[in-house]
Amino acid sequence: MRKFTPYVLLFPALLFTVFVLVYPLAQNLINSMLNVSLIKGGNQWVGLHNYGRIFNDALFWLAFRNTAIYAVAGTLLALLVGLGLALLLNVKVGRVNDIAAFLYTIPWVVSPVVAGFAWKWVLNDRFGIVNYWLTNAGIVKLGTSWLGDPHTALLCVIVARVWQFYPFAMVMFLAGLQTIPQEQYEAAAVDGATTFRKFFNITLPNLKSVSSVLLVLGVIWSFNDFNMVFVMTRGGPINASMVLPVLVRELSFVHFDLGAGSALSIVTFALLVSLSYLYLKVIGGRDPA
Amino acid sequence: MKKTMIIALMAILALLVLLPFLWTIATSLKPLNEVNKYPPEWVSVNMSLKPYGDMFFYLPFSRYTLNSLIVASCSTVLTLMVGSLAAFAFARFQFAGKNIFLLVFLLSQMLPGASVIIPLFQLLQRIGLYDTHLGLILVHTALLLPFVIWLLYGFFLGIPGEVEDAALIDGCSRMQSLWKVILPLSLPGIGATALFAFLGSWNEFFFALLLTSSDSTKTIPVGIGLFVGEYLDVWNQMSAAAVLFSVPPLILFMLTRKTLIKGLVAGAGK
Repeated sequence: MRKFTPYVLLFPALLFTVFVLVYPLAQNLINSMLNVSLIKGGNQWVGLHNYGRIFNDALFWLAFRNTAIYAVAGTLLALLVGLGLALLLNVKVGRVNDIAAFLYTIPWVVSPVVAGFAWKWVLNDRFGIVNYWLTNAGIVKLGTSWLGDPHTALLCVIVARVWQFYPFAMVMFLAGLQTIPQEQYEAAAVDGATTFRKFFNITLPNLKSVSSVLLVLGVIWSFNDFNMVFVMTRGGPINASMVLPVLVRELSFVHFDLGAGSALSIVTFALLVSLSYLYLKVIGGRDPA
Repeated sequence: MKKTMIIALMAILALLVLLPFLWTIATSLKPLNEVNKYPPEWVSVNMSLKPYGDMFFYLPFSRYTLNSLIVASCSTVLTLMVGSLAAFAFARFQFAGKNIFLLVFLLSQMLPGASVIIPLFQLLQRIGLYDTHLGLILVHTALLLPFVIWLLYGFFLGIPGEVEDAALIDGCSRMQSLWKVILPLSLPGIGATALFAFLGSWNEFFFALLLTSSDSTKTIPVGIGLFVGEYLDVWNQMSAAAVLFSVPPLILFMLTRKTLIKGLVAGAGK
């Protein structure tokens, strides 16, 4: 009897995991091979037809391209900003360090919906403060609509994403910086190394493992991210900022085409599994140091 | 001199970083005619808390707040109950398949919402839980579980086995020892876990958006996310909602910053 106790204890949790993970994924796989509509119902077997429709749809490739740009550019920029601020915070000037660290982390603490809302309002074409400043400085004309222009919409969403993600990178980089042995810097100073050289020969190599974890995690999270694009642009204008998670919602719940929506969500899942595999490789392959 | 310059740089960057949030706070205090005014101004003599009251009166935010509170607290309680049983099994028993179960829970944290939403939507509709508090509570519980199990597992491991052995010798059963010894001892850890679970549900947008449809079940993020674009003319009330909605996460972060960052760095850093 005692032998079964742990399984009994695990049972409720497993039930929940089956409910949100195992069952939906299996059902999705089946859905993706059916011709099924959210309104009209229907469950005609169509094999891989839905996948064919996805891959032949220019909108899928646009959304895929946008998602990749959003995930990679957003993560790289967030890492750069995070590293810059971590280096600044690593200069000890007393209690101010603590206060600044707290203030710099706030964008990460507020809900993504609030972040998207705040950026949308700051970038507002007529009453937003950013446009007012840029107009005064003579950089743009009054009424420039950053989110309404297909050329700049994706860029705006990336900026907001960087704003939300850099604090995480900053916190991790700061922790990384504080584990670098001071002796390495002292030895370099004795050898007469410049600040510049110390940064490239000591600081950066020591941050290599934390950077690779941040890069992979950041790309996975951004790849999955629905909130920022949905709140700021809904994928528009004319799909210029469409990303995969938003497209899944649009196909399934706006066009009621569950077959295509499911096929797309399976494709997204496959892409994510590959990225997660990469993540496990990166953690597994890290030096114990 | 160098120190002053660094402090000045830190302050300027802080203002720059917080700009969207500060602008939202300024907007939340302005009357409507000053929100829609060019050139925009940061402060005015007419600033007041009126938009905060208006938002509850004209927009359905009092109802949304109630919904958010119901969903987040029920999800937290349910997650802690189910999660502590599982974490207890992981921390105190050796059994076949233990590592596989741990890996499944770890990986389900990376779950892409878009890949499971359609079947979940259909399932909830079939069993009559679509657009109900209970439906959203069950989904949020399932989403929060992996993280909660992971945290509690760590806290339970930190309690020395001898304490529990003593309880067993005194005639407690395994379940009594969980209830009377382990849970009370890990109370601080459970408290921190509960706060994170609450916030996770409080901030969750994707599932809340797609699994609710009426005002009697929508949560605050859904209200904010959907109104952007629809109620453009009341930016001040929307800003007030956004600011109020951010207060619980900010307070919580202030209280638990040190623990949270330590845990993060230990888990993913190094």
